[in-house]
Amino acid sequence: MFIYALILYLIIGTAIAFFATKRISTDEEYFIAGRRVGGIISALTYAATTYSAFMMIGLVGLTYLSGVGALGFELFYLVGTLMLLSYYAPKIWKMSKEKGLVTPGDLFTVRYGPRVAKVLAVVVALALIPYTSLQFVGISLLLSREIDFASGIIFSAIITALWAFLGGMRSVAWTDAISGVFMMFMAILPIFYAFQMLPDRDFSKLGELLYVPNSFWRYDVFIAYTLPWFFFALTNPQVVQRIFIPKDIKSLKRMVILFGFYGLFYTVFVTFIGLQLRLLTEYGVFPRISDRDLVMPKFLELLPPWLSVLVALSIFAAAITTADSIVLTLSSMFTRDLLNNRSVLAGRILVVLTTVAIAVFAIQRPAYIVDLAVMSSTILLCQLPLILGIFHWNFGKEFSAIVTLITGFSIAIFLYYTKLTLGIPIPVWVLIFSFAVFFLSAEIEKRFIVHT
Amino acid sequence: MRLFEALVVIIAMCVPFVAMKSSDLTAYIYWTLVSAAYLIFIALRRW
Repeated sequence: MFIYALILYLIIGTAIAFFATKRISTDEEYFIAGRRVGGIISALTYAATTYSAFMMIGLVGLTYLSGVGALGFELFYLVGTLMLLSYYAPKIWKMSKEKGLVTPGDLFTVRYGPRVAKVLAVVVALALIPYTSLQFVGISLLLSREIDFASGIIFSAIITALWAFLGGMRSVAWTDAISGVFMMFMAILPIFYAFQMLPDRDFSKLGELLYVPNSFWRYDVFIAYTLPWFFFALTNPQVVQRIFIPKDIKSLKRMVILFGFYGLFYTVFVTFIGLQLRLLTEYGVFPRISDRDLVMPKFLELLPPWLSVLVALSIFAAAITTADSIVLTLSSMFTRDLLNNRSVLAGRILVVLTTVAIAVFAIQRPAYIVDLAVMSSTILLCQLPLILGIFHWNFGKEFSAIVTLITGFSIAIFLYYTKLTLGIPIPVWVLIFSFAVFFLSAEIEKRFIVHT
Repeated sequence: MRLFEALVVIIAMCVPFVAMKSSDLTAYIYWTLVSAAYLIFIALRRW
């Protein structure tokens, strides 16, 4: 039954992607839909890009394991995003329209020069290729009953590349919109099913899972989880690029508000599923599961077949929508920032090549893939001083920007593998180093480097 | 003003760490309400 539902979903998605191929003559049309997207579609593509398969698999499991702190962590991300978007999004949108920005790297080019955008493209690729390959791995595991692992990766890659290849941002945004609505419904239905399985609703049985700090959510753990996500709206290029797409300022504001409501409801629903499943475990109705990533798959086995298929399909949709958005953004950065090419054909070729690179990475299934994926948001924090510099500071140019990106990236990788953190969360170190290096190198640049 | 706003929201989001130790859904509901209130503030007052 899952295969039939999947085929139907793919037919609908591909039809939308075909329909969106019209009117693409420039790379601006291809990568940011000609800046003509309405507020509702913008909000849904922002949401579907942000909320990956992590929500229904990872966050349900994290809530099951650690309790309400998982909601706090995810809502900290949401209020941080609202805070940053309500202040910076109108400025970024206006700048993108006035200066014709297409890629997130263009923001950096305007202020720091084109070479910084090239370095950024490499840093972003190193951070996001492992993260995106994890989406493919997730899909492949979801399809493991139907096809083998390698075929699952190839299948995910084909769908991702096809939807982005055909219509670029327009097809990605429309398929994201359909998928986003579907994901929301499929987060609601399991709540009712789990609720009626409960013999009683005495949540006090969950004990320390109902408050923070507890044995999981210590202060340092909470900061380590929350800090990279708090700045996600400014540091993750696939969402930054979505600030360029609304057709006018009213649509941009609508995008932010609707995304906020989507994020709030989706987060509450998903974490409530996790809490209910843990309560079911305490009542002895649901098995005790130690591997948090297996909580949702186990729950799917208990759902009625039709609901299980639809929820699994929503997880598939979440993974694909995140993957194709990242692929499109990466290909735009490779095409425009790295290769200085403005043709749509080059963009399409880079979509295919980027997807192949992600698939090759995923198919190897290296042990460090999860580590790197978890690290992705932390690595991307090294951009923060540069982004704030665009709007708040006059100091710091090409030299400082490149040194900051390379140092911040290196510190993140070094600390993650050596664990020489002195008990301080890695994201805090990355932020401290990135800001310190930016300010210091800006001073050096001002005194010793003459820009022509 | 924006800095003050950010400070207030972050402090409000941190309250469960110091003031909510009950064995019910208080922290869960509190976080949801604070986020909703901030979202409504942005929707109605900011824009």
